Amino acid sequence: MANTKKTSSKKLNQLISNTITYIFLVVISIIWLFPFVGLILQSFRSYETEYGGMVNYFLPKQFSLDAYKYLFVAENKFLKWYGNTLIIAIVVAIINTIMILCVSYALSRMRFKGRTALMKFWLILGMFPGFLTMICLYFLLKQFGLTQAGAVPGLILISVAASGMGYYVCKGYLDTIPRSLDESARIDGASNARIFVTMLLPLSKPIVIYTALVAFLAPWCDYVFASYVAFGYSDGYNVAVALQRWVWTNDYQGYFTRFCAGGVLVAIPVTILFLCLQKYYVEGVTGGAVKG
Amino acid sequence: MKKILAILLTTAMVVSMAACGDNSGSNSGSNSGTTNENGGGADNTTSGGGSGDITIWVADAVVDFTQEQVNAFMAAHPDYAGYTVTIESVGEGDAASNMVTDVLGGADIYAFAQDQLSRLISANALMELTGDYASFVETSNDAGAVGASKVGDATYAFPITSDNGYFMFYDSSVVSDPTSLDAILADCAAAGKNFYMEINSGWYATAFFFATGCELTYETDDSGKFVSSNITYASDAGVSALKAMINMYKDPAFLNGSDVGTATNAGAIISGTWNVSAAKDMFGDNYACAKLPSFTVDGKSYQMSGFGGFKLIGVKPQTDVDKAVVCLELAKWLSGEEVQLARYQAVGWGPSNLNAQQNEAVQSDEALAALAEQLAFTIPQGQYPNEYWDLAVSLGDSIIAGDYNNYDDAQLMEVLQQFQTTCESYAQ
Amino acid sequence: MGKDKKSTSGIGSAFKHFGADVREIGTTFVQGDWKTKVSFVIMGFGSLMRGQILRGLVFLASEILFIYYMASFGIGYLKDITTLGTVATYTDKSGIVPVTVYGDNSFFILLYSILSIFFIIALIFLWRINIRQNYTAEKMLREGKQLPTIKQDLGSLLNENFDKTLLALPCAGVFLFVVLPIIFMICIAFTNYDADHQSPANLFTWVGLDNFKNLFSMGSSGFGSTFVTVLLWTLIWAFFATFLNYFLGMAVAILINKKGIKFKKMWRTILVMTIAVPQFVSLLYVTKMFAADGLVNTYLLKWHIIQQAIPFWTQASYAKVMIILINVWIGIPYMVLMATGLLMNIPEDLYESARIDGANGFQMFRKITLPYMLFVTGPYLLTSFTGNLNNFNVIFLLTRGGPQSMKLTGGAGYTDLLITWLYKMTVDDTNYRMAAVIGIFIFVVTAVISLSVYRLLPSVKDEEGFQ
Repeated sequence: MANTKKTSSKKLNQLISNTITYIFLVVISIIWLFPFVGLILQSFRSYETEYGGMVNYFLPKQFSLDAYKYLFVAENKFLKWYGNTLIIAIVVAIINTIMILCVSYALSRMRFKGRTALMKFWLILGMFPGFLTMICLYFLLKQFGLTQAGAVPGLILISVAASGMGYYVCKGYLDTIPRSLDESARIDGASNARIFVTMLLPLSKPIVIYTALVAFLAPWCDYVFASYVAFGYSDGYNVAVALQRWVWTNDYQGYFTRFCAGGVLVAIPVTILFLCLQKYYVEGVTGGAVKG
Repeated sequence: MKKILAILLTTAMVVSMAACGDNSGSNSGSNSGTTNENGGGADNTTSGGGSGDITIWVADAVVDFTQEQVNAFMAAHPDYAGYTVTIESVGEGDAASNMVTDVLGGADIYAFAQDQLSRLISANALMELTGDYASFVETSNDAGAVGASKVGDATYAFPITSDNGYFMFYDSSVVSDPTSLDAILADCAAAGKNFYMEINSGWYATAFFFATGCELTYETDDSGKFVSSNITYASDAGVSALKAMINMYKDPAFLNGSDVGTATNAGAIISGTWNVSAAKDMFGDNYACAKLPSFTVDGKSYQMSGFGGFKLIGVKPQTDVDKAVVCLELAKWLSGEEVQLARYQAVGWGPSNLNAQQNEAVQSDEALAALAEQLAFTIPQGQYPNEYWDLAVSLGDSIIAGDYNNYDDAQLMEVLQQFQTTCESYAQ
Repeated sequence: MGKDKKSTSGIGSAFKHFGADVREIGTTFVQGDWKTKVSFVIMGFGSLMRGQILRGLVFLASEILFIYYMASFGIGYLKDITTLGTVATYTDKSGIVPVTVYGDNSFFILLYSILSIFFIIALIFLWRINIRQNYTAEKMLREGKQLPTIKQDLGSLLNENFDKTLLALPCAGVFLFVVLPIIFMICIAFTNYDADHQSPANLFTWVGLDNFKNLFSMGSSGFGSTFVTVLLWTLIWAFFATFLNYFLGMAVAILINKKGIKFKKMWRTILVMTIAVPQFVSLLYVTKMFAADGLVNTYLLKWHIIQQAIPFWTQASYAKVMIILINVWIGIPYMVLMATGLLMNIPEDLYESARIDGANGFQMFRKITLPYMLFVTGPYLLTSFTGNLNNFNVIFLLTRGGPQSMKLTGGAGYTDLLITWLYKMTVDDTNYRMAAVIGIFIFVVTAVISLSVYRLLPSVKDEEGFQ
């Protein structure tokens, strides 16, 4: 009797605490989603009747696709910019992942002279702020002919070149894979290269996806260095450079709805990727973060 | 074995660096030789030889327009056919800062607002206009524009507009009396609208300071460096102006800003011609323009003043005479009477060319009329060091943050004294 | 390339190493045969003569390339390193139109001089390896052993020396695009490279410690007091941005993971939206939302909740709080994702036994969850703290460092981090010399904090212990 009473009061407690949790989760979901809903709604505002600048109301008075239509008209280079970013993002994602995996394997699995020195050296390098060297990198790229018309390969080169330094999470993940696995393979006479390709890679699927995803995201947000490298050559812009000009420079008046529409278009592939790969992302980041 | 890799690596790097280094090395080495030869050899303007790429940077609104004009120019000058002209949309502000960052990578011809002139000259980003080009600028443009294109006695750029000043756009259904700041603020408050002016800007703030009789000018030497200044902000007049700004800021109907695109609830906004079409969109049928209003402080009324500014088009210093000539001719064409008039018709920019200014359509333009009316109360904008604009933002931000809300005259004087001393320190 | 020779032991033993090295070089020369002796001048000669064609050719080629590089290019720049150029750019006005003749370019003189110095060091290093190779080869031949064939050399790159294969490209990239530019910018801190001394129009030159003095001089044009203000805010910001996000994120993750809560995946996905939408889009929208005439103020005014617009961005204290709060909005999702996975790793029976002991939820969090999380995420906390010290995007997109004030100099605002201040100086003012000085200070701040914390982390202390 007393026992059932206790369980029922426990159940009641549980119910109350769950309800509170639900309310809390709903509230933060609203807060979290509000700006995105606002952004999407603004992107559907009619350009013809409502003027394209910022407004102080939430719901458009008239829904239309004006802003999206503008992005796809022939004389607008939005598709070109979108394509540039997509190319950069894909290439960077592939090469970065390869580079990071290479570095991580070497640092996680092999013990060689200068290993800790190298790790410390890179750690120290990473403490220098990136903007410090921006002007130098610009002129360096210019020497290779990779600015303006060469902005896309230039940006790829810069993103890829230093990618090895971002090995922390990936190495942390590889560290969690038991070494006894590759040791037994080594006894069977497998070379390091073979162990890397045939044994460790298949086990590293989450971290590979995590690394590629992170590398894929970065180019969509790069508006500072990318605008330096393109240096006024509009065919070399990426989406971020082009869009931020619409809100930050005086030359573009009433481009706010178009900016929102562009932002939505950028968000779509990234969101889809994230939704599909969320599981691996979580596995990768948690696996890697343990050793960081 | 590590050695071998290290070697391979160095090899690859040495090769690539040597290869690309070689190019740049031989370029800078041989430049002096070629140019000197050309300088002696090419005597007539219409030599027309040579080929190459010419890049033009103009604001987005006039890219298509400029393309048409360039096509017309190339059609009229078949001897320049060897040159390919590319037009990019890089606004006046970006153009100047890009040119300062990397002159060699920048455009050959670019438009910029006149306040950037000295900065561009000291970065060696503008070719001096001599001979016919200088006299063309001198004779065909209004006096303010001519002054704006000069530093010392040297002319550096072709004026293209005389409209780079500010005036007021307003909603005629909200604002009944556009001549008085107090009335405008009251009207806006009554209609639940806002009055926008960007007071944290060195450009707009002068509307108050110059109105009460303050002065703020700099002198530059021939290379664009600032050598002396004449600043009288730390005076009773300055205190009056600052008080007026603080009073305006305290009014609930006032908001800081000059960008029509981001003003969400404007009854009136102080801005310039680049916002004309946006303002027409925003105000619709109630769109109206006027000169700046007058403000009252300590019982005295002052007409707002400010800067009258100009836009210029300049040519980057060239190492090749033939290309220099083509660029100069092209820039001259883009700043000529016909093109200025056509530009007005295309995008509504007010011409600096004397003949174009006499055109009927230009004379009857509402925005340009308001600007012209305001022009009588402004001073032509000279050259200001880059730090001045930054400092003025600081002053404006301090007002907006309410730092000076309870200051008395003596404290305000102290603020202005600090402002003036810092301004003076920019010119030595 | 950039990695070797970085001995972590003390200076004393470094000297000892160096002494031993010199002695070995001496003995190699004295005892070596004629092939070895020639190798001292013509690198790779010994290897070639002993049949190690590949090794020999690589050495030889790198020496030839080095000489070619230095003679045709490097020396021309290196000779000007002390002055950074003397020939000024001038305009020739004798022709029909003025023509510019460019002089020395201080920028490239400095950059290529640094590069050349690196190449010289690299060559000395290679030369040393070349000698050691001769030494070992001779020794092996004396002992009657076979020298490794080309096939063996290449094969070892996939096994014993696989690390070299893997690290070659990443190291090269880091050297050229990270190390070289950083050293270059450190040098810039000792020059007068700014708007008035900009290549190629003007020359710049060495000025010693003037820029550092300028940073610490307290006058009206000095940066001193402003620097301190900005530094303090940078630290406060990094602290809140890291720990607020950390604990709130963990809390949200715990709530979502709570037993009996349905749609776990949906809640997480909603939060993850902030990661998926690029910050420059979402943050710009949020900035405008909180502007004086933005959505929030408009509706609050309309509903008569407030009488006057709240100065979210224009008053320093409001702006600082807003930035930290909005950063929570940005930062929590990352933490939620990570915590979700980690929380599941905690053995359930730990909680079960605690529950039997009568522990409530908060006690369990304090005694079980938190210690575990702190232990495993220690390095993450550290990296995210240093990352926040340099968190450019959030600040720049929200306030651009504003509001500025007459009380601060150098265009700095109350919400400027050192990094955004650095950006403004580089991009807006082209004041590279001061930017370099600030950059060095950012490095010092980051390094001091991280290295002191880094040593305390349990998971770093015994790296091998985890495997």
